[in-house]
Amino acid sequence: MITALTIAVIVLADTAADVFLTKGMRQIGEVTSFAPRELLIVAGRALSNHHVLASMAFMAMHLTGFLIVLSWADLSFVFPATAMVYVVGTLAAKFILGETISVHRWAGTMLVCLGVGLVSIP
Amino acid sequence: MRTWTERTEIIALLGIAIVSQAIGNVLLSQGMKFISEGSSTIWSNWLAISLQAVRTPSILFGVGFLIMFFVLFATTLSRADLSFVLPAISSEVIVNVAFANYFLQETVSATRWLGVVLISIGVVLVVRSSPRTFGLENEPVAVRQEVNQ
Repeated sequence: MITALTIAVIVLADTAADVFLTKGMRQIGEVTSFAPRELLIVAGRALSNHHVLASMAFMAMHLTGFLIVLSWADLSFVFPATAMVYVVGTLAAKFILGETISVHRWAGTMLVCLGVGLVSIP
Repeated sequence: MRTWTERTEIIALLGIAIVSQAIGNVLLSQGMKFISEGSSTIWSNWLAISLQAVRTPSILFGVGFLIMFFVLFATTLSRADLSFVLPAISSEVIVNVAFANYFLQETVSATRWLGVVLISIGVVLVVRSSPRTFGLENEPVAVRQEVNQ
């Protein structure tokens, strides 16, 4: 029971982190260069962006939950179970971020969901 | 052509990100199981375990790889849809199951391997779609039409 509860918290925290990070990175603008100087400039903008900071807080919550549950459960069970975030995240992308989800993308996401479900069976 | 190039670049970035996270997870799992040995409940001595965790090399390296994943993930999100990146990055499940099986000697059943196959097909379907549907106001009509494919 505590494993299921911890995994639910991890999934919700990860989805919130993804949505805030997407909002923040779109405000900062496209990152097309990996030159150290460019990355430092982007990092500076990111660390002063409220959405990115909120994302990091949720990411920390996600990582803490992940570390705790890994101390008693197998990685090959925990990770696929937390992978429900792909479906929850796609729904958030449509309804919160306003992205267009094509038929192919929906079909692929549903297959990923089904696959994740099968992988999660002990 | 812009879309094709972007898709290739984004998939390459995601590939590196996926491997980084898989390595990070294996290192974290090894580290946490090592420090939790001999402890019946993790809640009773959480502070001591936290202090031990930051002194465990495999956990520190694991966190390093996860930071690398985070940078690559954030980079792709500045250029592609969250609904493209998320299912595409589910390939990490496949890599994680394989790594857990190979490096951590965890048992992986036939059902789990079947799930891995379904995830693979799903990922292929997703990466065939246009990686970006936001901010297309200034793009040519042909690019905007591709998002509905």
